Amino acid sequence: MANEEEDASELKLGEDFLKEKCLMNAEVAKILQHKYDTANQMSDDPSSQLSQVFEKSFAYVKRFSRYKNPEAVQQVREVLSRNQLAEFEVCVLGNLCPETVEEATALVPSIAKKGRLDDERIEQMLADLARIKTFE
Amino acid sequence: MFFHIRLERNLQLHPRFFGPQLRDKLVEKLIHDVEGTCSGRHGFVVAVTGVDTIGKGLIRDGTGYVTFPIHYQCVVFRPFKGEILEGVVTLVNKMGFFAEAGPVQIFVSNHVSLLKFVCSSSFSLNNLESLQLIPDDMSFQSGDVPCYETSDSSVRIQKDSEVRLKIVGTRVDATEIFCIGTIKDDFLGLIGDPTAGA
Repeated sequence: MANEEEDASELKLGEDFLKEKCLMNAEVAKILQHKYDTANQMSDDPSSQLSQVFEKSFAYVKRFSRYKNPEAVQQVREVLSRNQLAEFEVCVLGNLCPETVEEATALVPSIAKKGRLDDERIEQMLADLARIKTFE
Repeated sequence: MFFHIRLERNLQLHPRFFGPQLRDKLVEKLIHDVEGTCSGRHGFVVAVTGVDTIGKGLIRDGTGYVTFPIHYQCVVFRPFKGEILEGVVTLVNKMGFFAEAGPVQIFVSNHVSLLKFVCSSSFSLNNLESLQLIPDDMSFQSGDVPCYETSDSSVRIQKDSEVRLKIVGTRVDATEIFCIGTIKDDFLGLIGDPTAGA
């Protein structure tokens, strides 16, 4: 059933997802925390209401959230979006926080494709991200 | 990767629920039917975040049930081939190791022959030569804590290690998506070590 042409490294995500809103782990954590709190308030046994998929996803995004502060996440989005990146690229970079240009292009090969970002812009972008993390 | 998408569904409701709580009942049924499920197209539905519209109900001939078209928003997790993400190792054996990233299980193989067996036409792996997906310098160590270790023991991958891996193929069956991953490329492999500082 999976589309044979899909390839994230070339940003081929299929029609269903290419224009959809992507979420970083930190953003998902905020949404799921809200849902968890609501479930806790409404029932004595929240685990009966929340599926295993929810529990696993919640534990995962909490563990792999790079940013504690929601404002930091907002700033990260702004910095990355300034560079005309696709939603998917923004989120992979936000989730993995590469430190060097080499790492960034290895993780998200589509950003270095001809006509897109050059090394200098990528380096500037990563420096901005590192600054947000230091001051979060 | 997590996405926030809009989906629609047709819900059938028995007339016993028609009353002032009709909308609540429909939302409850939607959440019950959809949360925690998985499809090949949209991935795992993690949580319903809101309901956009509920259309007019259509009475079904002969049964009295009413079908409501409902448009809603939800968070889904959909893995993509070629995507790089982080996960937690859950099981290590001589065939390779399993890692979990959110709701999805990813297998990183040590054995070329096993992977050829698992590989059916539903996986799209182009180059069968590159099937050994754990680096050559790492080998399996059995014992109390099975792990994959480099010869100088500088890197050890065991249960609860955090690893960064790339998805090389996905397969969908009735209720879940299963992935094959690799740690062989640059900047992949162990990130956090549970024994660090020990």
